[in-house]
Amino acid sequence: MSGEKNTNVPVRDLSVKQGFKLSKFLVSWEMVLIYILILINLVLIATRTNLYFAPGTIQAIIQSGMDVCPLVLGMILILMLGDIDVSVASTMIFASMVTGLCCQSGMPAIIGVVLGIGAGALCGAFNGFFVAYIGMPAVIVTIATSMLFRGVVKIILDVNVLKVFPSFYTTVAWTNIAGIPLSLILFLVMGAGFVFLLQKSRFGRKLYIIGNNPTCAQYSGIDVKKTKLIVFVIMGAMCGVASIFFVGRMGGSVSSTMGTGYEMTAIAICVLGGVSTNGGKGKVYGPVIATLIMAFLTYTLGLLEVDANSRKIVTGFILIIAVLIPNVNRELLASMKLKFIYKGNKNIEALNVKTAAEVKALKESIAEAKKDTSLNETDKASKIKKAEDKIDSLQKKCKKQTELWLREQREDEKKAKERFAAK
Amino acid sequence: MSEYILELKDVVKTFGGVTALNGVHFQLKRGEIHALMGENGAGKSTFIKVITGVHQPDSGLMLLEGEKITFRSTEDSAKMGIAAIYQHVTAFPDLSVTENIFMGQEIKNKLGIYNWKLMTKRAKELIEPLSKNIDVSKPMSTLSVAQQQLVEIAKALSRDARILIMDEPTASLSRRECEELYQIAERLRDEGVSIIFITHKFEDMYRLATRVTVFRDSQYIGCWDVDKISNQKLIGEMVGRELTQMYPPKNATIGETVLKINSISKEGFFKDVSFDVRKGEILALTGLVGAGRTEVCQNIFGIMKPDTGSIELEGKEVKISSPIDALNLGIGLLPEDRQTQGLINELPIYQNVSSADMKKFIKGGKLDTNAEEAKAIELCQKIQLKAKDISAPPSSLSGGNQQKVVFAKLLNCDLKVLILDEPTKGIDVGAKYSIYEIMNELTANGYAIIMVSSEMPEVLGMADRIVVMRSGRVAGSFDADGTTQEMILEASLKQDEGKED
Amino acid sequence: MNKNKSMVSKITESRNFGLVLGLVVLLIVARIITPSMYSVNSIINMLQNNAVYGLLAVGEMMVIITAGIDISIGATLSLTGVVCCRLMAENPGVPGIVWLLLALVIGALCGAFNGILVGYFKMVPMIATLGTMYIFRGFSFLFSGGQWWFPHQFTEGYMAFATKKIAGLPSILWILIIVFVLAIIFLGYTTKGRRIYAIGTNKESSQVAGIKEAKVVFLAMTLCGMLAGLSGMLYTANYATCSYMIGDAYEMTAIAICILGGVSIVGGKGKVDGVIIGFLMMAVITYFISLLPGLSVWSDAIQGAIIIAAVALNKFTERSAEKRALKERSALI
Repeated sequence: MSGEKNTNVPVRDLSVKQGFKLSKFLVSWEMVLIYILILINLVLIATRTNLYFAPGTIQAIIQSGMDVCPLVLGMILILMLGDIDVSVASTMIFASMVTGLCCQSGMPAIIGVVLGIGAGALCGAFNGFFVAYIGMPAVIVTIATSMLFRGVVKIILDVNVLKVFPSFYTTVAWTNIAGIPLSLILFLVMGAGFVFLLQKSRFGRKLYIIGNNPTCAQYSGIDVKKTKLIVFVIMGAMCGVASIFFVGRMGGSVSSTMGTGYEMTAIAICVLGGVSTNGGKGKVYGPVIATLIMAFLTYTLGLLEVDANSRKIVTGFILIIAVLIPNVNRELLASMKLKFIYKGNKNIEALNVKTAAEVKALKESIAEAKKDTSLNETDKASKIKKAEDKIDSLQKKCKKQTELWLREQREDEKKAKERFAAK
Repeated sequence: MSEYILELKDVVKTFGGVTALNGVHFQLKRGEIHALMGENGAGKSTFIKVITGVHQPDSGLMLLEGEKITFRSTEDSAKMGIAAIYQHVTAFPDLSVTENIFMGQEIKNKLGIYNWKLMTKRAKELIEPLSKNIDVSKPMSTLSVAQQQLVEIAKALSRDARILIMDEPTASLSRRECEELYQIAERLRDEGVSIIFITHKFEDMYRLATRVTVFRDSQYIGCWDVDKISNQKLIGEMVGRELTQMYPPKNATIGETVLKINSISKEGFFKDVSFDVRKGEILALTGLVGAGRTEVCQNIFGIMKPDTGSIELEGKEVKISSPIDALNLGIGLLPEDRQTQGLINELPIYQNVSSADMKKFIKGGKLDTNAEEAKAIELCQKIQLKAKDISAPPSSLSGGNQQKVVFAKLLNCDLKVLILDEPTKGIDVGAKYSIYEIMNELTANGYAIIMVSSEMPEVLGMADRIVVMRSGRVAGSFDADGTTQEMILEASLKQDEGKED
Repeated sequence: MNKNKSMVSKITESRNFGLVLGLVVLLIVARIITPSMYSVNSIINMLQNNAVYGLLAVGEMMVIITAGIDISIGATLSLTGVVCCRLMAENPGVPGIVWLLLALVIGALCGAFNGILVGYFKMVPMIATLGTMYIFRGFSFLFSGGQWWFPHQFTEGYMAFATKKIAGLPSILWILIIVFVLAIIFLGYTTKGRRIYAIGTNKESSQVAGIKEAKVVFLAMTLCGMLAGLSGMLYTANYATCSYMIGDAYEMTAIAICILGGVSIVGGKGKVDGVIIGFLMMAVITYFISLLPGLSVWSDAIQGAIIIAAVALNKFTERSAEKRALKERSALI
């Protein structure tokens, strides 16, 4: 460091050196999800071979899980902001009701559908307004609106069931095109749209920024409030879209008590798909695969004669385990080891880690020596013996030192106790 | 009894493979104020944590009153009369002052039920000598930073602390508050408390300490009597090399007025603030912390909207109601707190750099990542960012380099005016210099810079003109030539004191 | 400064003033519309039928103060209710107190499970309890086998804990009162209770002060589960019916009571007296709705609207307080 200008400093190479790495890709969360999906399929094949290969089975399985897919896609964006929306099931029913009422009154189907999606978007805007512009926590707002929206449906419908819906609703939910379920095709098309929206567009980047640091987003000239509102509106509109899938699944009817728990399933799928509930982390691929996993899992459990309520237990555990897995990493294991084996003494930990590394190196050298053909047998044996002795002595030394330290620690503690007690 | 109340010998502490302390020595005499200095990352914080028992040293000795001692938790050290007041005030904002003082050592009756009455009484007794206007029943969040620090001191005193560690206590205090703190520290010293005073400010050291210990790169460099070491030498020891010049030479030509602020006011923050800044000029906005400087900047940048007054950019009156407007008009802000306002620590550097103006990277509706990376590399090379590569997260960088990322983010926008709010706060001496170089290069390229700073030498060394604020108003403006520290100080303090009396 | 403020202004500035005012207005409106509301019997009846909400709200409050949330309490209530009822129906000879203790234990176990996930494994409370909500509800169903229990299967000793009158009040209300008093003492005057506030207001400071966050969260969630368990047993005892479907969405009502009572959802703030007032308000509202014919379908919508209104109101008063503070500061410039 000096007064003159550092013009002669070599220019640092900042370009990204690490390209695509297969080993990293293979253990990425998305791939893990695919392995799980394959595993479930293998289990199904092994246990119910005939059924699995019977025509229509796989399609039926996939179709059964697709009614929640638009909610999953919308929820990814919401979670990306670090918010949550538990009113989606109520919004979906609300949108279904609007469409149903329109169709019942004899309006053209298309108007009913548009109004339904619009109603969903409006519900989303309602949520978004309170979250973004009034600054209320999303959990509370959406808990309240989930009661409110469903409450409104209850007031309007009471115990009645709406039964007039456009005919394509059931088509979406139940038909296959060239052997592929139409609902899956629609899901993948929408999914591609969301991949672009979240991962390729400027809007998506804004979501990542807001999810990670909303204050910084504001200082970077991003309209945080508006973006949040838009995301909630998209979520609401997706609830409207979901109503098409849902009502179709239900065979074209809707009542005020239907669809409870869908919000939980959607959140569970997103979390399983690797979207962080703290915001700012995750991609679209994961939840898409997770949606399929959930469909296959639900079906498999159904085959095993597990009833719907008990399946909830499995869903609950999946949700918890999916969140826990990233937490159970080396760090946690190391800290557990420190606490229980090394009694919280970091010196002992360091010594043991060091010894373990040395022992490992020696063992490697033994293995090498064994393979080494250039040495005669006696030399080899003596070399191996030497290394083994060294391992032995190292381990003994380590053990002795550990014991010594542990004893010291105990004494220290005792002494400290006396000293503090005296105070 | 030994001469030293606390002594550390050859203390080594490693985290994984990183050595945080490498054979550090320290000796604290009874009833002395001992300054501990060193650049950021020199190991001061780890050292404090070793003393207070947050970390245990890998090897080395700690002697308390000549006797070997090992702390396994902060409770142990607290019981032995060691208290620390951390850099960021570690209080419970929603709890009352009383409760903050007694947290961890509550007064209870035999059933384990709190005795609130007695606690309140004791709290009052503790606070009174430190400050007359703290209401102990009020929540901590209603107090100013300085007052909160006094509460922390009261807390330490309530534990009969014999050794008090203060980690940069003056970092966010105004000069007057500093003076009050100095007096309290001196009184405590006279009462027999030994104080370890960690600071970046030489002023603190000269005013208070009798001895100073310097750490550099996790190592012990030396310990001197304060009156026997020159400022130059001390800086040299801290940085590890001699500083020939603290501020790089300027080579900008000053042009026409770019930004003109016409008596803007914001209720509760400032009133009738006017100044202007010209092309190629560095205008320093100084004064005490809390004088409304940051708020003025935030109003210009659109974080808040001024109640009255107008802002002119290149002769035209402009409306700025959000940072979006400001950036579009060519006004950028380098915020005071880069961790929460300037950086997204989880996203790669290039995404940080592009975040304030992503429009230019859109190609066919999608963001062109290659263009983003290319632009970010170009900008970061220009300001000599030290990073592994452009996709590394900012959290992996040092403070100075993090600040450079924020600079690059501003440079990515097409700006005319840069507002830099404490650009060198919390940055070590070496990195400061390169920030100054960047600033000079920017002015040479025609940027107008408004620099908020509390550091007097920085203001005098860098600015062309100086505007001093005092409790929400402009108290005076000076040309840098011929202005002295005393003149600025006088302007920022004068009336303030008259009002209190 | 505070000393020269008059008593009146002190009262009006108190946090509970708005709540009490709201309650009074509510009572007057209810009185005008349904005069039959105010017999002593009907009031006791009203409180008795809402008592479980009070219990749940006290537990939920502790969790919310730690800056968490527990949405599994409805499921915990259901699980304890089912287990107690089934065992009680199968073993009618066992004294009632056993079931009360069993309920506390089951509830505490459920809460402890939540506490381990949130406290020790650092899961987001919302997600963790979302998962356990599924699990508890599922187990509740498994244990019940889809069965219902009806009044004739309930023993006297079991029901007495809710319905037996002591000094004119049903015992469920006495239990509620005891819980309120214990909660006031616990949260206001004991170290463990104050720690709950401490970690809610600043986790980092707590760490420095040597407070084990995991332990405190674990304690708060366990207590919350315990109270949910207690309310599960009392609920079934009060109504003398039980199925795995009981307690659906009760967590929402409990959260609503907390919010009405001024408990801050971001943690650190909230008092038992506020929750008591919130509980009374909610009781009046639900009772009032049930009295008006045809209004029962409205109850969900009304509750939802009330929560939004309460939080929005909270926000606005906060903002106006900020503005006032700014004005005060302006005087100094």
